[in-house]
Amino acid sequence: MYRYDEFDHAFVSARVEQFKDQVERRLAGELTEEQFRPLRLMNGVYLQLHAYMLRVAVPYGTLSSRQMHKLAHIARRYDRGYGHFTTRQNIQYNWPALKDIPAVLDELASVEMHALQTSGNCIRNVTADHFAGAAADEVGDPRPYAEILRQWSSMHPEFSYLPRKFKIAVTGADRDRAAIQVHDIGLHLKKNEAGELGFAVYVGGGQGRTPMVAKKIRDFLPVEDLLTYTTAIVRVYNLNGRRDNKYKARIKILVHETGTEEITRQIEAEWQAIKETDLKLPQQDVDAIDTYFAPPNLVQRPEGWSGLAAARKADHAFSAWVDQNVTPHKNPDYGVVTISLKPIGGIPGDATDAQMDLVADIAEKFSYDEIRVSHEQNLVLPHVAIADLRIVYDLLLTDGLATANAGLITDIISCPGLDYCALATARSIPVAQRISERFGDPERQADIGELKLKISGCINACGHHHVGHIGILGVEKKGEELYQISLGGSGDEICTIGDITGRGFSSEEIVDAIETIVDRYLEIRTDKEETFLATYRRVGAAPFKDALYSEVANAA
Amino acid sequence: MSDIEQPAGELWGREGFREDPYVTAQTLEEAGDAPAVILPLGAWLGLTEETRNASNRKIGVLVAPGESIEPLLPILDSIPVIALQFPAFNDGRSYSKAELIKNQHHFKGELRAVGDVLIDQVAYMLRTGFDTMKVNHAVTLNRLAGHNLHDVPGYYQPGRGSHTVSGTYSWRRVPGA
Repeated sequence: MYRYDEFDHAFVSARVEQFKDQVERRLAGELTEEQFRPLRLMNGVYLQLHAYMLRVAVPYGTLSSRQMHKLAHIARRYDRGYGHFTTRQNIQYNWPALKDIPAVLDELASVEMHALQTSGNCIRNVTADHFAGAAADEVGDPRPYAEILRQWSSMHPEFSYLPRKFKIAVTGADRDRAAIQVHDIGLHLKKNEAGELGFAVYVGGGQGRTPMVAKKIRDFLPVEDLLTYTTAIVRVYNLNGRRDNKYKARIKILVHETGTEEITRQIEAEWQAIKETDLKLPQQDVDAIDTYFAPPNLVQRPEGWSGLAAARKADHAFSAWVDQNVTPHKNPDYGVVTISLKPIGGIPGDATDAQMDLVADIAEKFSYDEIRVSHEQNLVLPHVAIADLRIVYDLLLTDGLATANAGLITDIISCPGLDYCALATARSIPVAQRISERFGDPERQADIGELKLKISGCINACGHHHVGHIGILGVEKKGEELYQISLGGSGDEICTIGDITGRGFSSEEIVDAIETIVDRYLEIRTDKEETFLATYRRVGAAPFKDALYSEVANAA
Repeated sequence: MSDIEQPAGELWGREGFREDPYVTAQTLEEAGDAPAVILPLGAWLGLTEETRNASNRKIGVLVAPGESIEPLLPILDSIPVIALQFPAFNDGRSYSKAELIKNQHHFKGELRAVGDVLIDQVAYMLRTGFDTMKVNHAVTLNRLAGHNLHDVPGYYQPGRGSHTVSGTYSWRRVPGA
């Protein structure tokens, strides 16, 4: 993975020193909260309902054991013993004291981490496929390009005061695990007919109150043009994006109002003017960054296969976990392990300090020191030998980290909601917990199969409900929390925004309503191979609406 | 502190503070016989070419973030100063305009930032191509007087006032001419 050089160290230290000075001035009363606000936001410090919240960047979701141990230490020493992994592959601490935050940033800097640009109207943490560098279906590792973009976007003088926040995601496989089509810029690393690497470029996707699927504006952009083309896109947006209404300020609105053809013309025209400038990437620089992400030298472990069969036969629970949470690796002796942070009835994405330490220890011994954070709020061990799966499972089991539900209905994405967030209009965590308990039986959820359920506690859609196969949006209506359901959304390569079913459900009704939808799916699917999403795409919303609004009405 | 220079005026550039020779007016008439005037874009574009190029006075142009710089691009050589407005610190459109004017279209005159110029933005302004800033914010004045630009030791992008360093990536720069 990428390692800081002197240049990076000096940069991050300077930023920490500046923030120390700002915090001291705030604590001494020399800065008002209003004056302090833009300064703290540049360092990832939010003021939430109950306390300051610190959002730490995990660039493209990649962590070493040492970094994970540090995150555990920060949770233990400066917070209440846990952290919350987010849908942007970051980690949030909900209870740090303001006076401690400069010390936390110092600690982070010591392991080459920071909280820069995790907030504000700038280019945010660049995200990538959480299986990058390991997945069997990968064309190329997207992380070197995400790292180049991370560097280039750091304290960008032209792009630090954009109309609104700006999110870039990169994927390196045809199977999109990074939801690139609901990002401001989505980059799909691919090869052209000559076998050269480049990107399909998508622009103008996003969720929030106006969800939109991104438009493909270029089918193949050579790697050397990555920064010039991105600059052209962001420049056109910075100049023309709306600033009169914060809800219409994302690039998706500009793309929508300008039209794909015209915005593409503007971007291409700007690009022609800067294509041959200093930002054109020399191959040697791409290669140098690429070297940091060279795959680990995986030891051949062919003995894993025979042992695995026996271990699976002996333990049904282990076998279910292998089925659900282990994904094919490039090297057939290895697997990619998803560590579910969705224990039945738990808070999606939360991990205790002890759990973080455990994951770090396991990664050091059994995953070549690498950990990933997924946008689905889970952790990933990218390089685990099949031969070590049993011992890794047993270790995970010791602290509640072996839930066999990756991709199933209880693997819920949820925003923090009204329990923490100052923007939320409804609670989302308690709803997630109740749904998780209702469907917690391992056999039942395995029978239901792949089903992505996502919950947001307000229209800003941080819980990605628009692209949930089942999405739940909590709103406030006449002092009551009301939950709206949408169906058929998907954040993968066939990206769709879910359709709203109709009137919302109360907090008491919502879990029953979800069960009604699931039961109807089980009745009408052609067979177990037909997933919920496939069934929905075949039959549409009608059968589900019938089930929802007749049954619930009758029951009331 | 002894190294704090007394601002000689509100106009600041890399060399320090100086008097602003320009007056800002809505029309040429309003400016009276001032030898150096900055007019809003609409008024400036309404001048005849002869008036703009008159040798006895300099006439600069003030551009609001929502206004297009397109009409200026073909005649940049005839403009002594372009002032780009920052009505609020978080309106970043003028940074992109600075890039276009200075770096893509090679404007040789003075590029000036006016409006809500805060200390945290000064380094960004210099790097995107601004030569001067018209500052009235007290804290910013103090910090500039103390030569404290709130800057970082290295940049991850090319820009004005920085140079390449050997042995590292092509996009990186360090401060200095």
